[in-house]
Amino acid sequence: MKSFSKMVYPYVVWAAVMIVVPMLMIVLYACTVKGNSVLTFQFTFDNFIRFFSDPVFPGVLWRSLKLAVITTLICIAVGYPTAYVMAKLKPNSQAVAVLLITLPMWINMLVRTYAWRGILSYIGMSGEAKVYVGMIYNFLPFMILQIYTSLSKIDPNLITAAHDLGANNTETFKRVILPLSLSGVVSGITLVFLPAVSSFFIPKLLGGGQYVLIGNLIEDYFISTGDWNFGSAISLIMALIILVSMYVTRKIDRYTAQEEDD
Amino acid sequence: MKKLIEVKNVVKTFDSQVVLKGISLDIYENEFVTLLGPSGCGKTTLLRIIAGFLDPTEGHVIMDGEDIARIPAYKRDVNTVFQHYALFPHLDVYDNIAFGLKIKKQPKDIIDQKVMRMISLVGLEGFEHRDVTSMSGGQQQRVAIARALVNEPRVLLLDESLSALDKNLRKEMQLELKEIQREVGITFIFVTHDQEEALTMSDKIVIMKDGEIEQIGTPAQVYNEPANEYCARFIGDSNIIDGIMKKDRLVSFDDADYECVDYGFEENEEVDIMIRPEDVDIVPRNRGLLNGEVKSVLFKGVHYEVMVETSSGTSKTVTMHVTKSRDVENAEAHEKISASSFYMDLEDVESLTDSEVIARANAQAWDDKDEFVSLTKVAYSLKPEVGTYPCTFGTDAGTEITVNINVVKPQVIKDESNEEVIQAFDFYKTAEEIKESVALDTDLIRWADAYAWSTEDESRVEIWDVKYDFDDENISEGDYPVTFSTQGREIKVETTDAIEEGQRIGLKWNPEDIHVMRKSR
Repeated sequence: MKSFSKMVYPYVVWAAVMIVVPMLMIVLYACTVKGNSVLTFQFTFDNFIRFFSDPVFPGVLWRSLKLAVITTLICIAVGYPTAYVMAKLKPNSQAVAVLLITLPMWINMLVRTYAWRGILSYIGMSGEAKVYVGMIYNFLPFMILQIYTSLSKIDPNLITAAHDLGANNTETFKRVILPLSLSGVVSGITLVFLPAVSSFFIPKLLGGGQYVLIGNLIEDYFISTGDWNFGSAISLIMALIILVSMYVTRKIDRYTAQEEDD
Repeated sequence: MKKLIEVKNVVKTFDSQVVLKGISLDIYENEFVTLLGPSGCGKTTLLRIIAGFLDPTEGHVIMDGEDIARIPAYKRDVNTVFQHYALFPHLDVYDNIAFGLKIKKQPKDIIDQKVMRMISLVGLEGFEHRDVTSMSGGQQQRVAIARALVNEPRVLLLDESLSALDKNLRKEMQLELKEIQREVGITFIFVTHDQEEALTMSDKIVIMKDGEIEQIGTPAQVYNEPANEYCARFIGDSNIIDGIMKKDRLVSFDDADYECVDYGFEENEEVDIMIRPEDVDIVPRNRGLLNGEVKSVLFKGVHYEVMVETSSGTSKTVTMHVTKSRDVENAEAHEKISASSFYMDLEDVESLTDSEVIARANAQAWDDKDEFVSLTKVAYSLKPEVGTYPCTFGTDAGTEITVNINVVKPQVIKDESNEEVIQAFDFYKTAEEIKESVALDTDLIRWADAYAWSTEDESRVEIWDVKYDFDDENISEGDYPVTFSTQGREIKVETTDAIEEGQRIGLKWNPEDIHVMRKSR
């Protein structure tokens, strides 16, 4: 085992160069003033103040969060029953179902989103609704697979045991199946909420120019405007929000797992 | 005692496979019943039908006069302790035990009172808020029992519940379970494949085999008076001997008659006779009912397990000719060749092939690099009559060796009383080959082509014993006798007296120690 642990070194180097250093640079950019010289740093919190003083930016942030939350909730609402039915199928059918769920992922996300643009304009859907359809379509498989995995891991004897102790199907679901599958829901949330809150090309493609989200904002400041400092500040705010939301989700999972009954 | 559960003609099939073939069984109040049988006998299926996890294909399960076969599990007054406990991993000890009571919406203070009483019954005080997944097997077991018992069921079902525990803990839990059963005073139905467990705990043992009940009885009944050979073999150690019931209270085996206490059989009916190893006494030679020789002694702690051969098997002695190395060297071609003479059955002459001759003579040639050289010449001419014929093996390079093929009459010995035939031939070997042998007994059987079969149905009989009187590490040229024999009558005896292998002794038992059973269909 010891010799294998050395195999992690390339990744450590990779992570340092490609993740930690860029992160530090984002922090650096976010806290400095725009300038041509790389050598003179002038520290400031102006970028953050600018973000919160202008009503436009918090509005965009709010809209992004709302989109991500609603997308995640719908994914749970649709994904949980789907996963539940899948987990109850015969083993062979389960394999087929997993294949069907993952099949669309074999095609590039961008291509699929373009296809949706065509379909949705054809049926005359417009604006926000189109963005939601695209988001849910793209992220639903992740939610289903996470919940399915946790459901299929539940020992069938536990369900028999619940029946044995007098629980009917509803009670068994409420007291045994649901609490034991919550971990799957939480990892599903992580896999859906995080990319959803920062996604920029689905809203861009499906929402047209009008539907600006925080991801688009960052993209704009980096690429079109060239204001890396403000772009970095927005990225940092986003990162903090994601961090907090992840922490809260984990907390909820642990809390529900333990205190489910009382 | 009042009848609590009545299982009536229950049949269960899974995909056209019949797992239970019409089981009928009465279970009384406050009884500890064990369903005993090997895996696949249907005992767990029967338990699951009583629990309500499975519907019987046919038949009825009647509890308190009411047919419950179609009532779902959660409405039955029955609780189960599962094989791997099936504790809820997301709940702690307290909540696992309280599960059933919370479902029944009992008031909180009552739940608390009942749960705490159960926790103290199974001895888990102080563990109320432990995580069940981090507990030991024995503790999980107790939680599982408490979780089931707290619902105050009429019947507690235990599905192989002790099998996951180690031996000492299992013994402890056996006593504890019995104790708990006495204390709560309800019916326990326990499923196990462990006969010792069944004997220790049960009031009633139900022995099952292939979806049918073989015997129902108290532990003493099933031990002392097994219904048939199957039950006798399943419970405890036993000697089971084919015999004939001469008349009431007189049974015969191995050409001798023995007194017994059984009666009610037909005259000269073929029966199975059971004698428990602990009922047989070792006495001086000629002072017992029959004589024998000690074949093996195994120390088992409290006692010795002694195998005594009371009549020998069928045997045949052959001569092993140990010869010098017969390598022939061809210096020009840098080759060596070797082969040995061999004996063969007159009856096999007709069907003999070249490759068989090479194999029997163990003929091989090799060069100075130790690489095998193929034998291209196999020359012999055999007549279908007894005699000695030369046989020459050779290679392309002209390296040759000549050996003898001895065609002999079939070398068989027929033993009428054992209904067996044994065959073996004399053979030639070099001292090296004997020294190099890793499993000499097996090699001797192969070299002599030793083989035994039953005259009754031609089925193969194992060569049980190979006897010889030479030191295989320091053997020199010469002729040595080797005796092959089948297993004779061996009787297992349990004794606390030390005894040595090879000792000649007598065996004795009382008439009531013999138990005669009808042959099963």
